Amino acid sequence: MKPLQLAAIAVLAATSLAVQAQGAGPTDPQIAAIVVTANQVDIDAGKLAEARSHNKDVREFGKMMVTDHTGVNKAAVALVTKLHVKPEDNPTAESLKKGGEENIAHLKTLKGHAFDTAYIDHEVTYHEAVIDAIDKTLIPSAQNAELKALLVKVRPAFVAHLDRAKELQAKLGKM
Amino acid sequence: MHAVDMRRRRFAAAAAATIAAIAGATGARRSFAAPGVYTVVIDGFAFKPAELTVARGDTVVWRNDDPVPHTATAKGVFDSGSIAAGASWKYVAKKPGRYPYVCTFHPIMKGTLVVR
Repeated sequence: MKPLQLAAIAVLAATSLAVQAQGAGPTDPQIAAIVVTANQVDIDAGKLAEARSHNKDVREFGKMMVTDHTGVNKAAVALVTKLHVKPEDNPTAESLKKGGEENIAHLKTLKGHAFDTAYIDHEVTYHEAVIDAIDKTLIPSAQNAELKALLVKVRPAFVAHLDRAKELQAKLGKM
Repeated sequence: MHAVDMRRRRFAAAAAATIAAIAGATGARRSFAAPGVYTVVIDGFAFKPAELTVARGDTVVWRNDDPVPHTATAKGVFDSGSIAAGASWKYVAKKPGRYPYVCTFHPIMKGTLVVR
């Protein structure tokens, strides 16, 4: 496993640990910040893939990440605005942001097949980790029923993305 | 048998026949009835209902309740193109058949339209 994948897993593992250490899950304002950051990180990576990849499948995947995560973020922001929940920064959101920035910095050093493989590998790990966080931390911790419902509603987006990322990973592996 | 009883029986038989005729006519009229409108809701990355049966001439509306765009695409039969979040797309069922369709953006999403 590559260092970056390990880093991504470590971030999400740290999420669970940090939450457990507090004795309780993240608050709704913290969940809001985590959701927005998680989407933004993947929008940024998607934009880079759209611009840099020479592989049509990878570019289309990147475009889908931008479209879908932008849509999810719009829905999330609309809801928290309506609920008067102000996203509150927290260690999980911070480490997600840092992980995202490191991923982009690493991807920028790569070209061609190496770029595609690194991007897609990271997308697989990232979506697995986010689904895990949604299931084990975010949904169980959400207090507001509408926020919880939104998390339940957007979860399949991450599953669909993971499915497609794994398909591409297999395809790229054969190239 | 008493004459009155006989008349009652005839009346009962005639009434039953009339009811059957009306029921039959109602059943037959279905195919001439005004076309219906059916809605498939796209929610949580799923088509609900996943399978829908309609008659030829009926309208099917796909309504996207998700925050992201989707499509309803049965290659060579119908293709909605991108249906934006909160938007809808209509299709009038034409040729009878069984048409599996997907969202081309998220092929994990599958549905079937049956046209009788």
